[in-house]
Amino acid sequence: MKKLIPYFTLGYPDNSRLCRFLDILPVEKINYIEFGFPSDDPRYDGPVIRKTHSVGNSNFSDSVYSKYFDYFYKNHIKMYSLSYFSDIKDRFDEFIAYLQKNRFSGIIIPDLIIDYFSESRGVIEDLNKRGFEYIPFFSPATPDSIIKNVASLTDSWIYYGLQPSTGIEIPYELDYTTERINTLLPGREITYGFGIKSDEDIKNLMKNGGSGVAIGTYLVKMIDSGDEKGFVDYINRMRGVLDA
Amino acid sequence: MITSVNRDIMPENWYNVVPDLPEPLAPPRDSKQDFSSINLLNKILPKEVLKQEFTFRRYEKIPDEVMEQYEQIGRPTPLIRARNLEKHLGYRGKIFYKYEGATATGSHKINTAIPQAYYAMKEGVNGVTTETGAGQWGSATALAASLYGLPAQIFMVRISFEQKPLRKTVMNLYNGNVVPSPSTLTEYGRKILKEHPDTPGTLGIGISEAVEYALDHDYRYMVASVMNVSLTHQSVIGQETKKQLEILGEHADVLIGCVGGGSNFGGFTFPFIPDGDETEIIATTADEVPKFSRGDYKYDLVDSAGVLPELRMYSLGADFVPPTIYAGGLRYHGASPSLSLLINRGRIKSDEVTESEVKDALRTFANTQGIIAAPESGHAIATAINYVKAHRNENKTIVVNVSGHGMLDLSIFGEKQ
Ligand SMILES: Cc1ncc(COP(=O)(O)O)c(C=O)c1O
Repeated sequence: MKKLIPYFTLGYPDNSRLCRFLDILPVEKINYIEFGFPSDDPRYDGPVIRKTHSVGNSNFSDSVYSKYFDYFYKNHIKMYSLSYFSDIKDRFDEFIAYLQKNRFSGIIIPDLIIDYFSESRGVIEDLNKRGFEYIPFFSPATPDSIIKNVASLTDSWIYYGLQPSTGIEIPYELDYTTERINTLLPGREITYGFGIKSDEDIKNLMKNGGSGVAIGTYLVKMIDSGDEKGFVDYINRMRGVLDA
Repeated sequence: MITSVNRDIMPENWYNVVPDLPEPLAPPRDSKQDFSSINLLNKILPKEVLKQEFTFRRYEKIPDEVMEQYEQIGRPTPLIRARNLEKHLGYRGKIFYKYEGATATGSHKINTAIPQAYYAMKEGVNGVTTETGAGQWGSATALAASLYGLPAQIFMVRISFEQKPLRKTVMNLYNGNVVPSPSTLTEYGRKILKEHPDTPGTLGIGISEAVEYALDHDYRYMVASVMNVSLTHQSVIGQETKKQLEILGEHADVLIGCVGGGSNFGGFTFPFIPDGDETEIIATTADEVPKFSRGDYKYDLVDSAGVLPELRMYSLGADFVPPTIYAGGLRYHGASPSLSLLINRGRIKSDEVTESEVKDALRTFANTQGIIAAPESGHAIATAINYVKAHRNENKTIVVNVSGHGMLDLSIFGEKQ
């Protein structure tokens, strides 16, 4: 089954409104869920997600979400944290222990191999030892040898960001981009993210062997406007497109 | 007329080094919290240029129309063994130079101006605009635009505009419109003129003006250097050099080029990167603009107005105003991210040379090889001469990129143009 992965920044737009959207999220239609832990410097995110971080940062309250973490776990939705290494490196053990306690499956760290390349191998091996998934985050700018080497350190799925930053619209060559990653990592589960919104994008990505999509920026618009119906409809529709 | 030998020397594809870098390249970053300058690129660059910038295709097919124009402006350029210079220096090894001054506009800049203007023309835009330092890039932009029937608006750094009036004549001959920057044509230019009426101008200010002009007039902005796409287009230099060396049965031990934003240097040397570490690669800058030794490797602004995305690069800071040096093309505060990464990781070495070393090198090169090289290229020649002096007893094959001629830069030797 193709993976549908919604993304939410914790604490945005505030705890109670986010909880409302998590309440109505059709869990049977999604596979994984990605929670952004608010960052002081979400440097590889676009303006929409950056705003969710700065708002989420002042709202985030851990106690609000533990029951949701429990709820998704019980519904067999794998949870992943999206966290910047710059925020967690000084309290790494504590943070991973917290995620494990809340039964997250793994972590996506967009700045790890870009800004902390020399430390990245150690971090990934450490996560492996803890039995916690490290999800490699790559983009078309990631060199071939790095894609191969980093991917070989894990068995997990791969997060492939199509845009240089979330939610922006730089034209890209879909066929070339997907073929390149498929050739470098044959047989691996590749999930696409960053800037995906249309049915057409998703259809083409799946046709080219993609195993799922992560959707973030596009959901923020509906959360901002309180459009609960639009949100549920959208998730349902994306499920349909993925399964088509 | 193009001969079959020439065709064999010219590559069919541009080469992009990013997939072959030893570490991931940091993406461009928005400098403002609630605005995406990356998204803004959609409005100022031709779509195809933007796609090439962010697709990172290792080999990008050169369109036939661009190939034809490459032939028209003098590609492939010659690779010449500098026997007289070798003799003059008493060197036991070999020195070759790739001569980009042999192109129609007199420098490597035309290699990327042609494809960018071609893609802009295909999009049916109103015209193209850019900034220029010494005027080489402005001349290339004006000619490329003229080849495709597009108007070109060029913002020339004021000090160069004053020092090099003949460049303006050249750009005008190619149908380009040139104004000194800061200018009164843009809001940003007017602001700078009000705050600093005596400013000599900088490339950063010129870029800011050109971007603003592009947005206001539905023009497309032509990228001189720094952004990856211009280095990719310039890879014709290095690929031809490799082929020419192969035909001669030679192997490059040392590659030397000068760095303003990194385009001629990256274009010349990056095609050698996938071959491993055997070839020593040296990037030369001006002593007055010591970006690699005194700059920081960090995210910084590309333009002084902060309109374009920030890039991670070696930088002296976007506000850096260099002394009004003789080599306008090397005054830029930063350098291309891919080049910066390779320097930071030690794969590429850097060197700085002084004005007097450069003038001596230019004189020596003129005396021995007859070529009056551009002041920018004089830096590469000076580094090569210093290299030979320091490695006298070795017999290496050194290849220098002479990125342009200096026939319009003679004022640096004291005479007025
Ligand atoms: C002849 C010549 N060489 C070199 C340069 C430096 O620029 P880049 O490093 O982008 O090649 C310039 C820039 O104007 C130039 O005119």
